[in-house]
Amino acid sequence: MEPASRAEARSERAFKYGMLAPAVLWVIAFTFFPIISALHYSVANYVLGQGITGYVGLENYTSLLRDAEFWHSLEITLIYVGVSVPLEICIGFLLAWIITVGFPAKGFVRSVLTAPLFTMEVAIGYLGVTLFSSQGGLISFLLGLVGIHIDWMSTGSGGLAAAILLDVWQWTPFVFLMSLAALGAIPNEIYEASMLEASSHWEVLWYVGLPLAWPVLTVAILLRLIEGLKSFGLPFALTSGGPGTSTQLFSIRDYLTTIQFFDFGHGSAMGVLYLVLASVVITFFFRQMRKRID
Amino acid sequence: MDSLLWSHSSRRSKIAVCVIAVLAVIWVVTPFIWAVINSVKSLPATFSAGAIMPFVNFQPTLDSWREVLGDPQCLNCLLSSFIVSAGTTLLVLVLGTPAAYSLARFEFPVPSKEIALWFLSQRVMPPVVVLVPFYILLVDLRLIDTWIGLILLYSTFNLAFCVVIMRDIFRDVSREVEEAARIEGASLWQIFYMVALPLSLDGLIVTAIIVFAFSWNEALFASALTSQHASTLPAFILASRSTRGVDFNVAAVNTIIAIAPPVILSFFVQRYLARGLSFGAVKG
Repeated sequence: MEPASRAEARSERAFKYGMLAPAVLWVIAFTFFPIISALHYSVANYVLGQGITGYVGLENYTSLLRDAEFWHSLEITLIYVGVSVPLEICIGFLLAWIITVGFPAKGFVRSVLTAPLFTMEVAIGYLGVTLFSSQGGLISFLLGLVGIHIDWMSTGSGGLAAAILLDVWQWTPFVFLMSLAALGAIPNEIYEASMLEASSHWEVLWYVGLPLAWPVLTVAILLRLIEGLKSFGLPFALTSGGPGTSTQLFSIRDYLTTIQFFDFGHGSAMGVLYLVLASVVITFFFRQMRKRID
Repeated sequence: MDSLLWSHSSRRSKIAVCVIAVLAVIWVVTPFIWAVINSVKSLPATFSAGAIMPFVNFQPTLDSWREVLGDPQCLNCLLSSFIVSAGTTLLVLVLGTPAAYSLARFEFPVPSKEIALWFLSQRVMPPVVVLVPFYILLVDLRLIDTWIGLILLYSTFNLAFCVVIMRDIFRDVSREVEEAARIEGASLWQIFYMVALPLSLDGLIVTAIIVFAFSWNEALFASALTSQHASTLPAFILASRSTRGVDFNVAAVNTIIAIAPPVILSFFVQRYLARGLSFGAVKG
């Protein structure tokens, strides 16, 4: 190699590492150490005002596992995700299909349907109180017109259902957007050919659109599961976790344990357990992403 | 053509399509309209949900707007939200874009895709995992309840997003232009900020808007790590929900103020949106 290009190679190396290093160091500093620190606190006995007074081994974990409230929060988190995500997937994909089929005013409908994605979850939960309240709430009012009375806000299951409906409102657009991109990427010739064979575009949807969009839909499902498991702002603003502890989703419970009761030991242990739970989904997600990005 | 799907459809399925689309638009728009109507009602008037026509069913008033915008704490939170979100966006782009470019253009001992996936793993981690450590870290650094504290945190979560998505976008920029600049004698740095950045401006704007929206909307750390001084809007809303309950008209005004900025910004970024939100898994 001639000297000039060696100098060039050196400057290139300096450049590429110089550009990358700040971000890598930043992430290591602000996520690696915190995770290690979380593990540390999760085996510690933390007393407010005194800090760590000793180590209790797995006591924080075992006492959590014996705690019925903990299992309850886990259960309703799974219900929350298990109901809202399938609804979002079905509705979002269906809407993407009808836009693809050629509903007039595509651009407009698309922009409108995307808007909820960017709304603040806390604000939606807060607005949700005024939608679901039995006194002057819009939804209670509308249901009342057809003679249905549901007590959304004063029972755990009602509150959870309301939160799920709002979650569906907010996140269906995400699936819609993903599906729209996936369906739009299918060559028109395929649609044309299959339309000539099929009796209606619903058949094309089922036999062509859905299978071809499935890989993208998988990513959408996994991302929604990951985000859904994190849900905090919307349900918390809607119900404050109540009545009682009936709508304390996992994140809410962990937040209250940590910030309201300053129980850092149990708070950390919950976080770590949560990471273990979420990593099942996250692993599937990375398997998909490894295939899809290059 | 798409229109073949349309033109070969039966009248009945065309009608079904239109009905579904109209219902979807109504479903999405209703909460917004509800908020707007309630925001111009007086408190007693909010109890009659059926009164939706201003001047006909109820007398509109701007009292609740005056009340909310006259509350110094609310204005303070609005200011905090803007500063924290803008600060985060700036820091994330400054740190993340160079890293993304480097990963898009150069070879590393580890494949650049693996490095991108490593960044991504930081993004999908449940935030409650690091709630306690971050709380203690910020207490130690005396950054609890400060703008800087929140900016540091949000940058961490969003940096990963920026690196992954901007890497994907830089890979689309034609290398030939960059080669040409190089032959002209431009340095690597000059190529980056005079050629690659301007050519990926669209992607950069989308990234900036998404990061801004994430930071604007974040609630968990906002309410855990601030108390008054640096409280952003989500923290303000949660606090006022628990201290003063929910007055429908005030809630409506708060909601509108809280959701307007990101939603308005989102109308400008239809392109790249699916791609950005799926971390590049969807091209579109």
